[in-house]
Amino acid sequence: MSTTASQRALDYLEQLPGTTFTKLYQHPSTALAIFRRMLPHFAKTLVLALLYLPGSFRATDLDTWVKTDTASRRARDRSLDVLKRLRILFEKPDEAGRAGYALSPAFAKSLRLALTGGGEHGSFGVPCSTTGSEAAAAASGVGIEELDNFARRQWEGILYYVVGAANAGLGATSGQTISAGTAQLLQKGEFVAVRGRKATITQSGFTFLLQDTNAQVWTLLIVYLEVCGSLGMEAVEVLGFLFTLGSLELGVAYSPANLTPTQHQMLEDLSDFGLVYRPPSNPSTPNTPYYPTRLSTTLTSDAPALPSNTSDPNQPPNQTQQQKGYIILETNYRLYAYTTSPLQTALLSLFSTLKTRYPNLLTAKITKPSILSALALGITSNQIITYLTTHAHPILAHAQATHGTPVLPPTVVDQIRLWQLEGERMAGFPGYLIRGLEGEGEYERAVRYAEALGVLRREFKGRREFFVTRMDQMSGYFRGEAGRRKAREAGNGEG
Amino acid sequence: MPRALAGVLIECDPSIKAIIVKIDLEHHNDIVIVDIDDEHVLIKNDKHELLKQLLKDALKDTVREAEDSSESE
Repeated sequence: MSTTASQRALDYLEQLPGTTFTKLYQHPSTALAIFRRMLPHFAKTLVLALLYLPGSFRATDLDTWVKTDTASRRARDRSLDVLKRLRILFEKPDEAGRAGYALSPAFAKSLRLALTGGGEHGSFGVPCSTTGSEAAAAASGVGIEELDNFARRQWEGILYYVVGAANAGLGATSGQTISAGTAQLLQKGEFVAVRGRKATITQSGFTFLLQDTNAQVWTLLIVYLEVCGSLGMEAVEVLGFLFTLGSLELGVAYSPANLTPTQHQMLEDLSDFGLVYRPPSNPSTPNTPYYPTRLSTTLTSDAPALPSNTSDPNQPPNQTQQQKGYIILETNYRLYAYTTSPLQTALLSLFSTLKTRYPNLLTAKITKPSILSALALGITSNQIITYLTTHAHPILAHAQATHGTPVLPPTVVDQIRLWQLEGERMAGFPGYLIRGLEGEGEYERAVRYAEALGVLRREFKGRREFFVTRMDQMSGYFRGEAGRRKAREAGNGEG
Repeated sequence: MPRALAGVLIECDPSIKAIIVKIDLEHHNDIVIVDIDDEHVLIKNDKHELLKQLLKDALKDTVREAEDSSESE
């Protein structure tokens, strides 16, 4: 699941300087987290093969592993690319000077420690001593269920802030307010835009809401990582602690005694997000144990981040119900939503006109003004349609399976798209207009080249001009052409 | 010798194109770089947002939004 989440984390990691990686890879938990979450399968195989190899691994030997078809070669190139960009693998010629690869020593050492154990690094968190944690758990009664509830409450509070900010007058307050720091963070990440004194959702905010929980957590944490530098926090320590959290065990109390000041500060923020829970009895003392919640323990694994995302039979039925589809959309633009959640109510009110509320049902109508107001917030018609499709009631999905009808009524879907198009009477494409090509043949060749590159937007044959979206490769082409022509002319001159 | 002109290619209906040309005239030809054909113009990169806004305003005066009378429940 959530390839986007790890992709985002990967994108963030890749732009870090090399020294940061060296520091990061000091921690076995980081090495393990990156290994298990960020790497493609082929890259994992390669890393494991090189892990205990003292010398370097020859490039030609690697080629014998890979089938000669394009798909396999592409997988190899992609894996090598990712490994190099994460500074895990580097090119190291063997004694005879032939091309080869080797693992970064720091990464290899940490990963070996992580896989086989040993060392006094405390990188996987330090649990409170067994008797102590049992006593503490018994005393404060922090069970897994309570942790899940805490995490859900905090996280939904954040989501509710993102959607609900615009319609505080809806009367559907969840009783959950988020801290000023979190609100600021949401603004920095441009999930909400503050206009006047009211915060309203933005396009990226809506995209944020459409993701699954794990991707949402990563999205928010990456914004956190980007701003933490300005708060006087060390990004490496923040990132290292996040990876540590990903390897902790749910329901176990951990001691913050070995954390750095930055990480102590983080504990406060993370408990605002619902990633860690600290018993409220004496939150100010630095040595209160912290409990990772499911939001954080699933950071670097593929398990769902909130139990309500699963169809796990152990979960209470009302929780599994929430994540299932709940929206029925009729061809007459009426919308019925089986929900009690204020979050979903607020979300729907962004693009539909709410009509009636029953204890378990909400009726609404999609109207032109309601869609236009959503478009004005920067939400696109495609986002609305995606949301409605992914949350469509099982009945609609069932109809699709049996009769092959679309999940949503096509008339409504088309109309939503048309309403958006109506507001966009012109479309703009940044790029370059190329003109001044001499001769039909030269023009044709240049256009075909642009088309093959996939940068051609439109050609204007009569004017012998064409429009491309990117120029870098085209200018290379023209330079080559000019060079060839010069050579040809020189040749003609001689002959 | 081929030359490349950086800008935003605008695709629109001929009617919208006419309005864009009119807006350009009112702004001392500071928006459009090349008038390509009835449905395409090349405009300056930094004038894209401005043109969007001006076009919206122009359309607001001419096209009346049909009031969707929501039928009774």
